[in-house]
Amino acid sequence: MSATPTPLRDRAMDAAVIAGRDRENILVGNEIIRHRLSSRLIHWSVAITFFVSLFTGLPIWTPIFAWMATLFGGLHVCRWLHPWAGVAFMLAVAAMFFAWMGEMIMSPDEKSWIGPKLFEYLRYQSDDSEVGKYNGGQKIFFYTSALGAVGLLVTGIVMWFPLTFPQILRELMILLHDVTFVLFTVSIVFHIYLGTAAEPGTFGSMTRGTVTRAWARLHHPKWYKDVMGER
Amino acid sequence: MSAQTLEIRRSSASLWGGATGMRSIPAVSKYIDTSTCIGCKACEVACQEWNDLGPVATKQVGSYQTLPTLDAGFWNLIRFDEREVDGGLKWLMRKDQCMHCAEPGCLEACPAPAAIVQYANGIVDVNPDNCIGCGYCETGCPFDVPRFSAKTGKMAKCTLCVDRVSVGLEPACIKACPTGCLHFGSKDDMVALGNARVAQLKASGFPQAALYDPRGVGGTGVVTVLGFGDHPEWYGLSASPRVPLGVKFWKNIVRPIGFIAIVGAVFAAFGHYFNFGKKEVRGAADSETNLPSA
Repeated sequence: MSATPTPLRDRAMDAAVIAGRDRENILVGNEIIRHRLSSRLIHWSVAITFFVSLFTGLPIWTPIFAWMATLFGGLHVCRWLHPWAGVAFMLAVAAMFFAWMGEMIMSPDEKSWIGPKLFEYLRYQSDDSEVGKYNGGQKIFFYTSALGAVGLLVTGIVMWFPLTFPQILRELMILLHDVTFVLFTVSIVFHIYLGTAAEPGTFGSMTRGTVTRAWARLHHPKWYKDVMGER
Repeated sequence: MSAQTLEIRRSSASLWGGATGMRSIPAVSKYIDTSTCIGCKACEVACQEWNDLGPVATKQVGSYQTLPTLDAGFWNLIRFDEREVDGGLKWLMRKDQCMHCAEPGCLEACPAPAAIVQYANGIVDVNPDNCIGCGYCETGCPFDVPRFSAKTGKMAKCTLCVDRVSVGLEPACIKACPTGCLHFGSKDDMVALGNARVAQLKASGFPQAALYDPRGVGGTGVVTVLGFGDHPEWYGLSASPRVPLGVKFWKNIVRPIGFIAIVGAVFAAFGHYFNFGKKEVRGAADSETNLPSA
């Protein structure tokens, strides 16, 4: 293992990472492949369909965001595109769910992430020594996202074809769609923040697919040990 | 249908869509007297003709009624109902159409800017240019009036002949009525006419007679004299119509709270960053160059 700092561009490393794109949890040079290419493609499919759904839905939600409709060619286009983007979003989330569910099984002690552990984590005071590839918060986010997507689809279908459903159901589904989307969007804001500004080095795991060893040891020490074969 | 000659009082999904208040324009209203309606359907025909809606295939519903309910291509429907009252048969007819509420649920529910407008004279109209055909107005309407047209992809309903009214004519249905059970004029005049007729009915064997101008939606631009005013449901009218609670709750409570939550989340993320900074490996001891060997 070379002890010299990583050069700005290491073509041999790039080639090695590309060669290892179908594998993950392996050390390549001094980088660890965290997400194989297929996982990254699924993640960005979810992200793109989410944002198309969000930006076509927001101008229908409130005229404060009416300007967003211009991005897609007007509110009429949004009304047409939003439900289809939602269906695509649901398909992408379903692909993500089945691709990652095996890694997302929660251990009993991770349940505490629903409560105080999450706030300890956000204050950078949590003891992460037992954190594997995904921490409890990430797992909870995984399940709530899947649940939220199903909720948005079910309520959205009623809103898509409103006149085929009874009045009370329409009123209820519009409310539930609103509440679900707000909670979803709030959690996505934090997801993006934690994945970029708050935790440097994380974003690369979803683009290049790799993280540094120092990153892995800091955020996911147990996973780091597994990858390095130190158990 | 977008009669720009008229001043607008309210406009759907518009942050600042208030009236200019330059002129004082009195509210208008239709007057319908169900007790003198003979069910001739001249108003139905006049509506189809004036609004170029064309013929509609009728549907037998076991009475003289043309269609089971209003339709995207049929905005004026005489409803027929038979009731046994005190051992006698009563044949009840009512002209059903948009009620032009003073507080329109359709307008409140509509998400498309200026797709539903309320003119200063109280007429509530769909502007098809802006309508996106989402159907929220049907959810917001306490009278089940707006209809989605598969042909145009837009919502459609009675315009109160805004194009005629704006040039000083009465609506086509009023013009066609042969019995004088339909009138058109200022809201005040129509309410006075209605009250006089109700007094007349009360004096002639209809003690329950009443004028239907429900307060729950701020009054309507269609006032209806009902012989059995204590049973508006016999005429297919809600006893106390209101903008659905779900719509009110959604627009006035859930939406503002949701907006604050989303904007608040963005601010919270910035606040977190300023307060706690980033979580990363610091110092030479933890750097790439000093890792334990694999």
